[in-house]
Amino acid sequence: MADLPVAVSRRSRSSEQVEFRRHAVRRSTDLAVRHLALIAMAALTLFPVLLIISTALKTPQDVRSDPFGLFSSFSLENLRSAWTVGGFSSYLLDSVLLTVPSTAVVIVISTMAGYAFARLPFPGRTVVFYLVVLGLLVPFFTYMIPLYFQLRSMGLLDSLVGANLVLISTNLSFGTFFMRAFFSDLPEELEQAARIDGASESRIFAQVMVPMVSSGAAALAVFTFLSNWNNFLVPLLYLPSGKYRPLTAGLYNFTGGRSMDIGPLAAGTLITIVPVIVIFVVLQRQVTQGFMSGAVKG
Amino acid sequence: MGAVSNVPPVTRRAQARLGILLALPVAVITAVFFVFPMVNALYYAVVDFDGLDPTPPFVGLNNFTEMFTDSATWHALGNNAIWIGIGTAAPMIIGLLVAVLIWSSRGGGAAYRLLFFLPFMLPGVAIGIVWGWIYDPVNGWINRVLGAVGLGSWSRGWLGDPDTAIFAVLATAIWATCGFVIMIILSALRNVDVELVDAARIDGANAGQRLWHILLPQIMPVFLMVLTLTLVGGFSVFDIIFIMTGGGPADATEVLGTYAYSSAFQLNRISYGTVLALLITVLAVPFTIMLNRLQRRLSLQGLGA
Repeated sequence: MADLPVAVSRRSRSSEQVEFRRHAVRRSTDLAVRHLALIAMAALTLFPVLLIISTALKTPQDVRSDPFGLFSSFSLENLRSAWTVGGFSSYLLDSVLLTVPSTAVVIVISTMAGYAFARLPFPGRTVVFYLVVLGLLVPFFTYMIPLYFQLRSMGLLDSLVGANLVLISTNLSFGTFFMRAFFSDLPEELEQAARIDGASESRIFAQVMVPMVSSGAAALAVFTFLSNWNNFLVPLLYLPSGKYRPLTAGLYNFTGGRSMDIGPLAAGTLITIVPVIVIFVVLQRQVTQGFMSGAVKG
Repeated sequence: MGAVSNVPPVTRRAQARLGILLALPVAVITAVFFVFPMVNALYYAVVDFDGLDPTPPFVGLNNFTEMFTDSATWHALGNNAIWIGIGTAAPMIIGLLVAVLIWSSRGGGAAYRLLFFLPFMLPGVAIGIVWGWIYDPVNGWINRVLGAVGLGSWSRGWLGDPDTAIFAVLATAIWATCGFVIMIILSALRNVDVELVDAARIDGANAGQRLWHILLPQIMPVFLMVLTLTLVGGFSVFDIIFIMTGGGPADATEVLGTYAYSSAFQLNRISYGTVLALLITVLAVPFTIMLNRLQRRLSLQGLGA
């Protein structure tokens, strides 16, 4: 098909032009094939997400007769029952109470430590820094079991404070590394100028340097928020009684108890992923920056 | 740091004071919630702790000898090997191909990036639940599609069948990680010398040759970095398997992570679980260090990012 117009025009145009057109036609069909392949891949990628949305928004009767038929009916009944009977309103609250404080503390402490390691010579810096590096290398698995008994004897097991502290400590190594890189890139002249103007060291830190790394801190905040929101192991291990249960643990508990309630389960899954998708779409740049540097760590 | 020499002593003292102050929180939290439990893990490994006894008996290396003679350990390790082999190779290959496809098809790049990266952001529990539906023996989409194309005899409960369970969970994990690989490789491709690619095209190199000889060497450091991450992640895989199969059916999907968890928290064999977790560490850490070195050496040679 693609060759036809070229063949027709052959009589009227010079062979050079024909050659050029044939090349152009081949290139554009080539591009179309590429986009078709990509769109097919994208559809495969999106399908499970669409399945969650579709199942969550069906009528309960439709879920019973054909649970996974795509968008065959519409009702908010599943969302309502997940929110009330399913307990997802309190799971959501616990997710916020676990994610927001831990993220805020990680940002503050990482910014402080990142500056110290990047620009302030102090005794013991190397030792502490090596321990922080070690935190990037050693998997959480290594110490998660002893940490359980440590939290128990500290009276922090099954408490929001304890779970927050674990989420903070598991994110601090990366956060410190990340912020240190931003502070290292700032020019020396900046602090020298402030020092000549008579600014104290702490003022240089708080009023000159910190504002310069706000974009880095924002990326770290988004990244930390998402990884804490998605964390499964920490609530599973350190909030065992179910007194506090974030969305991930709530969902898992829901699958174990009443696996036949697919409608509310889908609705609960939707409640869990909607904040993630919204943050991802709105703050793409920060999210990808965080994840990309997350990859460069170590 | 070279500037330290021309800084007056007063300033240097003030800097040291502030440095200690600013690094104190990270030092304290790292000591209490990382170093202390890590040292404790070494202690747990040489005693027999059941979670209750405040003075557990010293058993020397018994936990270790038990681990190496335990056939369940080797079975789990074998599953880790399958997981690492396929779970590293597949996302790398798919990710590389899709990234090059996006890179070379001008237009739509931002939209594709967004779409492909989305699964990587989602919580493992949500991913496990929805893929559980896709694999459902009765209503699942895989069996529906198989039935529609006349392969209904292949239908099965993909997660309930010991022969397919590990591969079914793996496929889910591959679906979730491809977007990450695509993203990283795309960012590396941005620094690739396009003139080299065009020159190769004019010289008659086909798409495969251009990919292998021109593109891949230029993005090698980033490629190795992604390899490190997926490899190391493969040793400590836990969430997705625990959620989708819990290690079953009949231990078919048991990996070191789920075996360590169930030993410690379901059978109260705290010490044995700790030793299994240490095995994960011992296996994963050298790979992290080795591949990072390789990657750093390559970037020192001025290749890629």
